[in-house]
Amino acid sequence: MTATVQKKICMVGGFSVGKTSLVKRYVESVFSETYLTTVGVKIDKKTVTMGDKAVHLILWDLAGEDDMSSLRLSYMRGSAGYVLVADGTRPATLETALALRKRVEADYGPLPFALLINKNDLSDQWAVSDDDIEGLRRDGWWVRSSSARTGEGVEDAFTDLASRVVR
Amino acid sequence: MEDLPAQIPAPLAARLQALTFADRAVAWLRIDDSLALVDVGGNLEAYGLGALRLGAPAVEQVPLLEGLLPPVEQPYLVPSVEVAKGRVADLHFWQDEPDGGGATWVALVEVTTERDMARRLQQKAYDMTLLQEREAALNRQLETANAALLATQRELEASRDELARWNRTLEERVAAQVAELERVNRLKRFLAPSIAELLVSSGDDSILRRHRRDIAVLFCDLRGFTAFSESAEPEEVSELLHDYHATLVPLVQSFEGTLDRFVGDGLMVFFNDPMPCPDPAERAVRLAVAMREAVAALAAAWRKRGHQVGFGIGVAQGFATLGQIGFEGRFDYSAIGTVVNTAARLCDAAADGQILVTSRVAIAVGDLAELADMGALAIKGLSRPLAVSNVLALKSAEHQVVWLNRQTR
Repeated sequence: MTATVQKKICMVGGFSVGKTSLVKRYVESVFSETYLTTVGVKIDKKTVTMGDKAVHLILWDLAGEDDMSSLRLSYMRGSAGYVLVADGTRPATLETALALRKRVEADYGPLPFALLINKNDLSDQWAVSDDDIEGLRRDGWWVRSSSARTGEGVEDAFTDLASRVVR
Repeated sequence: MEDLPAQIPAPLAARLQALTFADRAVAWLRIDDSLALVDVGGNLEAYGLGALRLGAPAVEQVPLLEGLLPPVEQPYLVPSVEVAKGRVADLHFWQDEPDGGGATWVALVEVTTERDMARRLQQKAYDMTLLQEREAALNRQLETANAALLATQRELEASRDELARWNRTLEERVAAQVAELERVNRLKRFLAPSIAELLVSSGDDSILRRHRRDIAVLFCDLRGFTAFSESAEPEEVSELLHDYHATLVPLVQSFEGTLDRFVGDGLMVFFNDPMPCPDPAERAVRLAVAMREAVAALAAAWRKRGHQVGFGIGVAQGFATLGQIGFEGRFDYSAIGTVVNTAARLCDAAADGQILVTSRVAIAVGDLAELADMGALAIKGLSRPLAVSNVLALKSAEHQVVWLNRQTR
């Protein structure tokens, strides 16, 4: 009989960086061009197999951080890990993501996380340098550029994070 | 506050309760210490929780509770959670015991309407913010493009200045080359082209200034030309002169003589100026012999056409004044002096096929030429008769060969 494990994973980042689209790509394999902002939190579920375990990932898609309202960290309670998301066409959202990671770590300790720099399909507007990404990797971060539109980097991020949270 | 329900009439309390929960799905879960569901109620179907089993683990049946049980504080609120598609609820956690312990209650109170209203406002705000960010990004791109454009413009201006400088330099070079070309052309009128170019390339035109030098002068012309030109058609005269000049001028150049002038059938050539040479008389005589042979060949052809024309040459050596003579716009490089007159007179006196030379020339070429003493000739313009010799031939074919080789170099 296959053992089952359930883990809560939160999607964290600035507003309009593509958190909901990444979850939708991962869970439903679809992408919508329409931007619909998230208020509060939206919960989805995806089951992956890790070795002999069926891992139920309970995905909490949190409303984005913006100038008016900061992330409600109480949503993170009980989270096994998180996906930090930035928008590669808006460098300020990478700063937001880095600040959020500090806040999460201050409240919940060093949880496993993956950093996705999203929207790499918009190459003509891309504004994050390869050097910045390499710099974060040198610090030991799991960093990938991704696209919810094409799916690039999405599966990798969740699979890698899942393997780390069930360890 | 706790006494408020007791103070309000029961019908009002019932009405308020009805209003609070009108159009809201409310459901609850009760979970014991072992985290198993012990009681559930309310509109669970609205949240997709219609098939819950009492006694079974709560977290397995309600995944959103993952990580939240038992609550670390109470009461505890997780607001605005989209539990099922389109259904949003606030999740309220509390325990039976005020200071924790006992069963945990989880109430799901629907806030879909409030969430939708907040989302509409937030959507507008975010759309506006994104537009502003995009505008700012475009402005930055525009500024960058403008800066690049300005830089390109500056480079273009610098290139234009550079081009103007190059043009000026080019104009100066062209003017210098035109001037040089003019000098070459001027010098070519009386010098062999190779010598003219040599003088120009040396950049020294001081030779054009008036000066004295010991030169050998050669005069030649045709015998019987005047009679021929009177009887012949002008075209025939012109053709003969053309053949004559075309034969002699290259010879003059090949012997590196300075062609002073030719007037009709007469030609004046001198040696040792402006290009110095160690043996002006020798060169003049060798040229004279070569001319005689060349014109003899031409005369043979002319005779076949009925034209009796002969050829005579005079050669003299002595000091002359040389340089540019004439006036602005019409300069010639020429020699003036007795030696010029003497050579001209000797030419006049020479019969067909004769090369008459002065005694000084005869001495100079004694080793290379066979000479015949012609005695003393009275020369017009000279006070006393002049000893004259006729050059019969060069002594050795070798001398000829040397010059033939030079001609073909």
